Amino acid sequence: MKLEGKAKLLRIHFGEDDKWNNKPLYEAIVNKCRELDIAGASVFRGIEGYGASSRIHKAHLLRSSDRPIMVSVIDTEENLKKLLPALDEMVDEGLIAMSEVEVIRYVHQEGVRSSAL
Amino acid sequence: MLTAGPGKKVGIYVAEDQQYHGSSAYAAILDFLFFHGVSGATVTRGIAGFGADHHLHTTNLVDLAVRLPVKIEFIETAEKVDELLPKLQAMAGTGLIEMHDTTIVKPAEKKQKQAERERPALKRESKAKMMRIYIGENDKWNGKPLYEAIVNGLRSNDIAGVTVYRGILGYGANRRIHKDAALNLSHDRPILLSVVDTEDKLKAFMPILDQMVQQGLVVLSNVDIIKYAHNYEKAERRQEARR
Repeated sequence: MKLEGKAKLLRIHFGEDDKWNNKPLYEAIVNKCRELDIAGASVFRGIEGYGASSRIHKAHLLRSSDRPIMVSVIDTEENLKKLLPALDEMVDEGLIAMSEVEVIRYVHQEGVRSSAL
Repeated sequence: MLTAGPGKKVGIYVAEDQQYHGSSAYAAILDFLFFHGVSGATVTRGIAGFGADHHLHTTNLVDLAVRLPVKIEFIETAEKVDELLPKLQAMAGTGLIEMHDTTIVKPAEKKQKQAERERPALKRESKAKMMRIYIGENDKWNGKPLYEAIVNGLRSNDIAGVTVYRGILGYGANRRIHKDAALNLSHDRPILLSVVDTEDKLKAFMPILDQMVQQGLVVLSNVDIIKYAHNYEKAERRQEARR
């Protein structure tokens, strides 16, 4: 996989509680990205936030936590366009934003991670 | 005794375990300077370095730790330095000697006040670049977590600021899912470093970053700085309270 020059950064914001087919939505999105051969995706969990519904997302002691989740995906515009229809279907409530980035370095080494797991 | 005016600053680099006639080279050089009436000399031991042999000597590696760099520095008049140099060259052996012109502003007499710390200019409302670096939590650089090494590198290059984020799930160039597995001791979660500074300063850091990031993704984008401020008085008060 090669990625260089101009690319797009897609950020998807939603809640940790959000589900897709009984699975966490963030997992479903990462799997979808892999399926579509998107260069990479990372999921980050925030500690507090609020969004479209003006409902504060934060950790609850007794109930399951609903903290903000941000999935960040970087690839060419063309590849991300393929992902958008799927995201549209999956994200009921949330925010999807795209911005321009310039790729400086995108590398991997065969076998470097093999000892990690 | 030195007087204010032009002078020469000489730096001699040797290895800690380097010998000269049966005693350590830096001690021999220091003695030589002392007994030849040099007005002052300082020996500094480095914590890491490399020299002509291109071996990296650091305190992290036990077997190489004895070859840590030592620097002997002194300031004297040009005539005095000329008189001492031939002997110093012999004593320094394989080490390096450098010398440059300096101006003695005030000869040493008593303790000098510490120079006021330089304060970076406050920047606000300007164009800047944001660099995002995506790596794994397990990635290492010289035995240290890579994200820590990058933060240290950025700090030593006076980059305005950096924040490290740890993700909970992700995959990257090698298609392997990085996940926080509860029973797995080797956590390999995705790490994102977000760095903001001017394009020039970030570009200057890239060759270093290139060496450090063996696998991962580095992207650059435009951002507008709305506010970048630091309250010096508050920080100083906090430091005093800690003492």
